Formats: sequence, structure tokens, C-alpha cells
Amino acid sequence: MDVLKQLLGRLHPLVVHLPIGFIILGLLLQWYDRKTKHHNAVISLIYLWAGTFAILACITGYLQYMGEGYSFDTVKWHLWAGIATAIFSFVMYYKVKGSKAFAPISKIPMGILSFIFLFLISFTGHLGGNITHGEDYLIEPLPNSVRSALGFDTYEDKEIALNEDNWSESLIYEDVVAPILNNRCVSCHNPKKNKGELLLDSAEGMLKGGESGETLLAQNAEKSELFKRMNLPVSDEDHMPPEEKTQPSKEELLLIGAWLDAGHPFEGTIGEAGMAKELFEPFFPKKHDFDYPDIEVAEAPIDSINVIKKNNIHVDRISKGTNFLTVSCINDPSFTDADFELLQPIAQQIAVLDLGGTQVTDAIFEKLAILPHLTVLKIDNTQVTGTNIGLLAPSNYLKLINLTATKFQKVHLNALEQFKALKKVYLYRTGIDASGVKTLNNGQIIIDYGDYQLPPIPADTIIY
Amino acid sequence: MKDKIERLIQEKLVREAEVNTRRHFIKSCAQGMGGIALSSIFMGCDPLGKPKTNSSMGFSERDLNPLATLSPPYAPKVKSVIYLHMAGAPSQLEMFDYKPQLQKYDGQDCPQSLLEGKKFAFIKGTPKLLGPQAEFKQEGESGNWVSNFLPHFKKVVDEVAFLKAVNTDQFNHGPAQLFMHTGSPRLGRPSIGAWATYGLGSENQNLPGFVVLTSGGNSPDAGKSVWGSGFLPSVYQGVQCRSKGDPVLYIEDPEGITRDLKKNTIKTINEINKKEYAKYADPEILARINQYEMAYRMQIAVPEVMNINSEPEHIKQMYGVEPGKESFANNCLLARKLVEDGVRFVQLFDWGWDTHGNIREGSIDLGLRNKCREIDRPITALILDLKQRGLLDDTLIVWGGEFGRTPMQENRGNKKMAYKGRDHHGDAFTMWMAGGGIKKGASFGQTDDIGFSAVEGRVSVHDVHATILHLLGFDHEQFTYEFQGRNFRLTDVEGEIIKEILA
Repeated sequence: MDVLKQLLGRLHPLVVHLPIGFIILGLLLQWYDRKTKHHNAVISLIYLWAGTFAILACITGYLQYMGEGYSFDTVKWHLWAGIATAIFSFVMYYKVKGSKAFAPISKIPMGILSFIFLFLISFTGHLGGNITHGEDYLIEPLPNSVRSALGFDTYEDKEIALNEDNWSESLIYEDVVAPILNNRCVSCHNPKKNKGELLLDSAEGMLKGGESGETLLAQNAEKSELFKRMNLPVSDEDHMPPEEKTQPSKEELLLIGAWLDAGHPFEGTIGEAGMAKELFEPFFPKKHDFDYPDIEVAEAPIDSINVIKKNNIHVDRISKGTNFLTVSCINDPSFTDADFELLQPIAQQIAVLDLGGTQVTDAIFEKLAILPHLTVLKIDNTQVTGTNIGLLAPSNYLKLINLTATKFQKVHLNALEQFKALKKVYLYRTGIDASGVKTLNNGQIIIDYGDYQLPPIPADTIIY
Repeated sequence: MKDKIERLIQEKLVREAEVNTRRHFIKSCAQGMGGIALSSIFMGCDPLGKPKTNSSMGFSERDLNPLATLSPPYAPKVKSVIYLHMAGAPSQLEMFDYKPQLQKYDGQDCPQSLLEGKKFAFIKGTPKLLGPQAEFKQEGESGNWVSNFLPHFKKVVDEVAFLKAVNTDQFNHGPAQLFMHTGSPRLGRPSIGAWATYGLGSENQNLPGFVVLTSGGNSPDAGKSVWGSGFLPSVYQGVQCRSKGDPVLYIEDPEGITRDLKKNTIKTINEINKKEYAKYADPEILARINQYEMAYRMQIAVPEVMNINSEPEHIKQMYGVEPGKESFANNCLLARKLVEDGVRFVQLFDWGWDTHGNIREGSIDLGLRNKCREIDRPITALILDLKQRGLLDDTLIVWGGEFGRTPMQENRGNKKMAYKGRDHHGDAFTMWMAGGGIKKGASFGQTDDIGFSAVEGRVSVHDVHATILHLLGFDHEQFTYEFQGRNFRLTDVEGEIIKEILA
């Protein structure tokens, strides 16, 4: 008998859809029929069926509540609303039929009754959905900003802010572990949802453990339920977070493991916990190490770009994520100093400029000085000697100059000394003796004279 | 839904048209109206999947020139790739993966536990373990291991990052090479170079964007599909150039045809095409005009860039080139010249690394050593030459084979082989990368005591692809092409960027 009860109970999610369908059908038909009233007989029949199946839904619903161990608090509103819907179905049945059985009802206009009916079925259905899918089922996909505006808790807004200088002084739990757990776990393991009867939003909750017992084992990440579950293959049923949720990164996982191995301290700094720096490095702010400045710039005028392109000069954004441009004259070896005028309109946006193999001379340096964001300059295989190269020294961003196969003069090395941001200079095939200075400005600027040799060795000629 | 089905039908028609283009074309021309049908068919073959309208004429630069440059979605670390593939699969155990323990077990039976459930190409029964046939030393500041088979390479060991535990599920050359270059062991997918040129175009308008150079006397077992364009427009397939004879077959004008006559011919053809365009306004006609012009320019530019004799003597010596012959050294020097001239992807294949021990050339202690000598100087020179010109900052070099080789001596047909050799083995083998965005001197992954399986840092072929695309400025999960109703990726549904070797 118990088996039958439970089985019937589990049919509830199926059966509930019948009254929903009937009621909506009836309401639509009422609307369609509002002028002519030709179909009242059919509509009343539909509401009779709706009521009958609503009663069936109430019975199976009650059985499910009994059989599946829901608390009364969880289901009470859904239960009462369901019963109300069933009763109201019969009220509507009599009303549409034109029965005089309920005098007070017959005075209320049909429109108002229909609206109440629609509200009842929607509300009941929604409450039912909340029980099976969770209360935030519809809220969850919304962006954090909308969610908090609607007054819902958000669990995904804690950032891990560590940096090179004082990482070891940050608090291990509060600044590192708690944000990871907050961002990946707490949306389910919080006092409201309490999935698996486990709370991961507080030290007490974690120490108490959940349905499967202890969650943390000091000095033993491998055996700690928390780490074990997160480390299972994503396809495994016991893996946490569940497959469809955002997964922690490799680095976050390693850190949780190391924290458990360090005895899961809830107090104290990273330094006091004695954890290795490599674990935290991935969370340091990413160094901007690309060929353009780490600032925003306005978009280059498209007309100017088209004009430049017509002149056989490449202009492309360095990536779709930036307005900075890379410009190359690889297809225009006849480019001269005078042609630089073409590039004037995009002076703000040029970050990488390749003038290799063109006709430019030392006069170009004066013009290049108007490029405020120039980061990489390739001027190899040209006639430049380096006179006036010092005009580029104040640039805040120029980090690389390629002067391979030019007439660059040794005397101008002094001028390079003054460059603010310069890191690398290529001087291969300039005729400057490779035994000269290898670095300038106390190692800030590295000079590569090239001319690498691979002298013959006996092994070159031994054939086995 | 309806437009998906229409797309599929169009795609099918395009494929059909590609199979019998010439016949189709003549037939269509003869029927007059057919020409219009053809042009509408080709409209479905937009290389970008969606029409772009930033040019004044209502179609993009890409419609006219499929190799026009595009910005990558993310900031790139490199502009070009040089991929060095040792076809036949080099032995990691004689080059980079030092296993002193394996020497101890030399000549002993391989433990059964290792053989269970494994498939080998030739090994039968219980093979014997074979100790390393090379001597190893830690080199450079990084202290990474390099064998005495590579006496030059050890000088640049601090420039490269090793992947010591690459894994593939293929153990035969053809499928494994396809997997390594197209992300699938079966035919039909575009190669890495095709993806790169499709996504980025190529800077030099006089040269192909994707050049393939082969050496070692043979083409790779998987055939030209390893540099094919798969379902991408065929303009993105690799162009095979030769270091001996004509760099590209039939690039020279036929006897009796002067450059002027050729110019006039193309001029006339293009004028007819322009009239045709005025009539039908099909951008495909403009693309054709553009390509006639590019081919004409290439006739001059390609022989020029492919001529290594113009290089100074000390550079030729550094690489150890053999002008007039087909050699890996020539190809390495060419790779530098091509990258210097803005070619996007240069693919080198060197054949002859299949060291089973059945013949002298295929022995692990003799033949392999000769092959190592053939690549040792050129690769070292390539790295140093790119570096001194400032090109290594913008270029990625990838080195590897299609799989590795077994720690066991091969026993084909359960007999002792004439020479020492190793069978195909995909569980764990070594690759390396060097250049822009790569962590210099890194080594990621470790194999067990005898070099059979990975114990740490195992990476897949898809991971390698994800990393290459990342360095070029792509997210391998977003970089897709719609074909037969679904989006395809180089990395299919897998692949993770190998952050451990990135700077």
C-alpha cells in the first residue's frame, strides 16, 4: 500500500498539468466567446474537468508531501493555494453554467472572477515550481546587479585581491578561502538553501559538517570531503559544484587543498599559515604585457584608415578588444618620410609601427615623436643612423626599437640612455662592435647586437 | 530552422561545385543562364559566415581578398608560427626525456602490468626494455636535459619550454599526423595553419599566408591533408614550396610566354571579368580578379624569397644549408625568410624519424643520430637567427612528432630485430615550443621511471592546439566555423591552455 501511495504521490508533477491546461483553455475560450456566449456549455464542462483533476492533483500532492519528507512549512502555501484552486474551479463551473446556487457569486462580474482564477492557478503553479526547482530558479540566471536590485542575496561578488608586495599579510581565510567558497559554493550551501545540510558561509558551518559527515580534515586535503568532492571528475555524481554550475579554477582548487593541508586556519595571515607563494601568484593582478599601453583611447577615424589602406599600408586593431593599432609598411617599401603625413590622423592610436625595409631617414624621428602611445618601433633595414632618435626619449610607452641592418651609429647609444620606458633594442648588422655595452640604464635597457655564431664541431661531420 | 536547412543545401551545392569545378564552369557558361545560377551558389560561401559591409561597395575587403588581415579577438603574443614536424615520430628517450632507471632494466622483460590493455603497432608478446642509447646532461641555466645527439641545440635550451608528457590516442602515422595538425585523426578538418590564416589573414600581399616545406625525401604519411583547409574555403590551405627546382610548381611562365604577354593576358581576362561584375555584381568575380593579380605578383616575389643564395655566407654556414638540394637546413633558413616577410604560418615536415630498428637508417643508435645531426644545427641556427633580428618576439616555434616511442625494444613478429629500435608510443612524448609568450627554460610534465606514461603534467594534442591559438590571440572555444549545421573548432570539445609554459 505504501508503495502505491508513494507512486501516486510521484505522479503529482504529471497530474498538476491537467487542471492547468483545462483552466487556461477555459479562460481563453471565455475570452474568445466574450461577445457571442455560444460556448458556455463547453466552458462549464471544461471547468468541471478542471475541478475534478484539481482534486486529483490535491490528493496526489498530499501523498507526495507525506511520502517524500517535505516539511509542512515548505509546502503549506502551495497546498492551500492548490485546494483553493480546486474549489474555485467548481465555483466557475456553476457560474458559467448560470446556476443560481450561490447567490453572492452571481453578482460578481465574470471578468473579475476570471482574473482571480488566472491568478490562483499561476500562483499555485509558481509555488509548486519553487518547491521542485528552488526559490531562486528564475532569479539565478539574472545578472547580479538586477538580482540585488530585486532584493535578492548575491553570492558572486567577492574578489580575491592579493598583490606582489603584501600577499603574505593578507588573511588566509577571510581574504582568500572565504571568497572562493563564496563564489563557488555558498549560493547553495547557505542558511536558506542548506543543500546537503552543509553551510559553507561560516567557519562554524564548515566545522559542523553536513549530511555526509565531517567536511574538513586538518592536514589532510585528500581525505577531506570538501576537497575530495571538488576533485572528482565533473561527470561524477558526487562532484561539487554540480556540473551545470561554474567550476572553480585549477588554481582555486589547489589553494583549497593547500589550506586544508595547512590545518584549515580560519584566523591569521597567509604568512602565518606558512603557505607557498606560487599558490597565490595566479591571484595577483595580471601584468599588462602586450604591445600597447594599458589605457583607453578613442577609436581611430574609419575614413582615415580607409585612406591609409588604399595606400597599401596595413592598419589593424591589435585585437578586437582595443582601439590601439598596428601599422605595417611591409607592402609599401617605397614609403618615405613625407608619407608619414598619412598616419597623422591616427597618431593617438598607433602602438606598433613597422617601417622595416622602407625609404625613411633620420628625419622620421622628429615625426615619430608625435605618436604619444608608440610601444613597438620596427625601423630595421632602413638608412637611419640614429641622429635625432633622442626625440623619442620622453615616450612613456616605447619599449622596443628594432634597428637591425641600419646605419645606426655608436655615438647615439648615449641618446638611448635617456629613454623612459625602453627595454630592448636590436642592433644586429649595424656594424657596431658586439663587444660594446650590453645594457643601459642599470640593466633597464637590453641591447642585442646579435651576430650569434655556431662554430663547426666534430659532430657536424660524423655520419653513423 | 528554415535558413539552416537552406544553408546546408547551399553548402552541399558548393561542395559539389568544388569537385567538378571546371566541367561545371564550362557547362554553365555554355548555358548562359547557368552562370547566374553559379554565382548565386557561391554567394553562400562567404568566408566569414556573415557578410560584412564596411567597404563603400557593400562588401568587405575579405570578399575581394580572402587573405586580408583581421584583428584577433584578444591581444596576440605572436604574429607567425613556424611548426617543425619530425614525421615518423622521434624518440623522446634519446633526445630529451632522460630515464637513467631505464638503463638499469635494459634487456629485462617488460612488466605485464604495463602491457595490459595497450595496443602497439608492431610489438607482440612480451618485449624487452631498452635503455637510452644516448648520453644526457643538464644544460643551460634551466638545467633541462638534452642528449649528446643534439650538441648544438643545448646552447639554446634556455630559450625553449618543454612539454614532457604530451599524449595522443593514435598509434599509426597517418591518423596521428592528422590528429596533430587538424585536431582529428580522420580526414576533413582544417589544419592549424588553415585556421590561423582564415582567422588572421596574412600581411604580405605577394606571398601565400600558409607555406609548407618538406624534407627527408618523402611527404608525411597522412598526405596533403595535414596542411589542408578541410571545410574552410580552399584558399586557406597550405601552399607547398620546394627548396629545389621551381619553388612552386608551374610558377614560371611557359616557354614563349613573356612577362609582358602574361601581363596583357591577365589584363584582358580581368577586363572581361570586370564587365561580368558590372552585369552580375557578384563579389566572387572581384575576388577572382584580385587573385589573378596576386598570382602575377607572386611569380616575382616567391622565387625571390625562396632563393637562399642571396643570404650572406656566414648565415648559410650557421644553418648548414645545401643550396640546390632538398634539405631541412634549407627549409629552416627559408622559414626565417618567410616569417621575416610576413608569412603567417610556415609548416616544415622532415621525413625519416620512424626508428623501428628494422633497417640501419631506422635504428635508434645510428640512424636516429644521423637524423638528429640533420636538424640539430638548423634548428639552433633558426632560433638564434630569429632572436638576433628581433623576430623571435613575434614568432612561435613548435617542435614535435606525431607521437613518441616505446621504452621497450621492438620485437616485430616476436623476433629479435636486426638493429635497436622502438615502436610507436602515444602515452607520453616530448614536444617543445619557443618564441613570443613562452616561458623560457620551462619544462612541464614528467614521465615515470622508464618513460612509459605520464605521472605529472599530462597534456593532450588539443591542449597544444589551444595553447597555439591562445598565443595567436584566439580563444579556442570561441574560434569556430559553421559547417553542416554546427560550429566546428580546431579543438573540438576539448583542450585547455597549458599555462605552465606561458610567460
